[in-house]
Amino acid sequence: MSAQIQEKNSHVTLYGRRWSKENASISRTFDKLVVVIIFIAMAAAFHLHFQLTVGDWDFWVDWKDRQYWVTATPILLIVFPAALQFVLWEKFRLPIGATVCMLALTAGVWISRYFGFHTWSYFPFSLVFPATAIAGALVLDAVLLLTGSGLLTAVFGGMAFGLLFYPGNWPLLAAYRLPMEAMNSLVSVGDYIGYAYTRTSTPEYLRFIERGTLRTFGGHSAVVSAFFSGFVCILVYLLWWYIGQVMSRVVTVPNRMKSLMGLGDRPDTP
Amino acid sequence: MSSVIQTPVQTSARADSPAKERSVFNPRLALGTMVGITLLMAAYRIYQQIFAWSAGLDSTDPAFETYWMNLLKGELVLLVCSWVGLWSWLWVTRDRNLAALKPRDEIRRYFNLVLYILVYAFCVYFTGSFFAEMDASWHQTVVRDTAFTPSHVILFYGTIPLYILFGVGAFLYSVTRLPRFAERLSIPFTLAVAGPFLILPNLGYNEWGHAFWMMEEFFSAPLHWGFVVLGWSVLALGGLLLQIAQHMFETMGRLEQEAA
Repeated sequence: MSAQIQEKNSHVTLYGRRWSKENASISRTFDKLVVVIIFIAMAAAFHLHFQLTVGDWDFWVDWKDRQYWVTATPILLIVFPAALQFVLWEKFRLPIGATVCMLALTAGVWISRYFGFHTWSYFPFSLVFPATAIAGALVLDAVLLLTGSGLLTAVFGGMAFGLLFYPGNWPLLAAYRLPMEAMNSLVSVGDYIGYAYTRTSTPEYLRFIERGTLRTFGGHSAVVSAFFSGFVCILVYLLWWYIGQVMSRVVTVPNRMKSLMGLGDRPDTP
Repeated sequence: MSSVIQTPVQTSARADSPAKERSVFNPRLALGTMVGITLLMAAYRIYQQIFAWSAGLDSTDPAFETYWMNLLKGELVLLVCSWVGLWSWLWVTRDRNLAALKPRDEIRRYFNLVLYILVYAFCVYFTGSFFAEMDASWHQTVVRDTAFTPSHVILFYGTIPLYILFGVGAFLYSVTRLPRFAERLSIPFTLAVAGPFLILPNLGYNEWGHAFWMMEEFFSAPLHWGFVVLGWSVLALGGLLLQIAQHMFETMGRLEQEAA
């Protein structure tokens, strides 16, 4: 076999760089492992963050109101996508940070909602189905891809993320907003399911839903909530883009236990 | 898919078996561990389904002692044994001659480290997502009795110690087997391990708060926000990813030079 053919068979050129086939294989295997780890880690950490901040509004259909739910959920949901977008875009030029986060969260939430609230605590799934923010995450990634700028993504993507939350969940929620009469009162179908399946350890008088009116602008409170949410999402996105930057810094300190480990007196590697 | 170069491998002092053709990527142990963890979590879940409502509502009930306190005691014993066992084994079998580590062996150890982190993340998923939200479904249905309740016996004393085992284990593996991690301690790695570890003592504070203030069971209560902040430390895996990628890239260059 000629030297040129041997050379061609033993090396590949990827993105303008020449790799040995073994190194190319190592690189690809590493990539696959990292994707799996990121997905699982985001499902864990993002879900923990989500359930302990806006979890109560997401757990129950009668908590999915037009004020607190619409306002608080996008603000707290944009946290991890912003941080992960920094790492994946700035370091790897991958515009998938928000979508990966949101898919991982959705997977984790649906699994735990089914195995926890539905099959363990016997709440009907119509009461405990989770909300979705995948539409907003797709737009967030698309804006980052098109602009290549964290600032512009914060402004346009963040606002879109806040505004898209309510309409993105409308197909799930609309049926439970239908009016009905119960005990001589006008209630929604979602409210009535909540009356039938009381949360025995959380008193009704402490529900943080639809406090106040938000009718100042003379109309639908959900629209006002969504715009307010969008504005705060812009600020939260910027903050967490920079926190992502801080968390992804490679910082090391000298290991003062070297001699204990039997490494002896060796110069530090730069 | 990993290609195998059929050359004999000389390894440094202790950690690897001598002069044997081995792939740099061997996920069998990690995959087997993840299968075992999945079976354990399924067993926990089934145990909760059968015994939580029937024997877990009243801590003064003798059945509670049988099905839940005995499980707790078993978990505490297993916790101590597994932590001491794995961490001391990693330390005792540390590589005392990292300077002699060949690039190919170093790449193999980096893959082992990444597989350790994969198992760690897998355990954190069951804690932070699966059983944590089940804890919400339990507490928002059942009035809190004591801190030793069915959801806690599994979550606090089963799943959390398990991810601590692998998180600290991964850190110890890197420090005892990889030259650059042995030379200089990685702050992102420390954060990614210490943050979730601190969830365990924070649970003590959380239980005190629930008992002292007799709180209603909102998951979004400020008392729980310590867990939120500690969960953010998982983002430090981004820094660790970059560090490992940099190291592997450099080592792959040396591997190529060696092969040339």
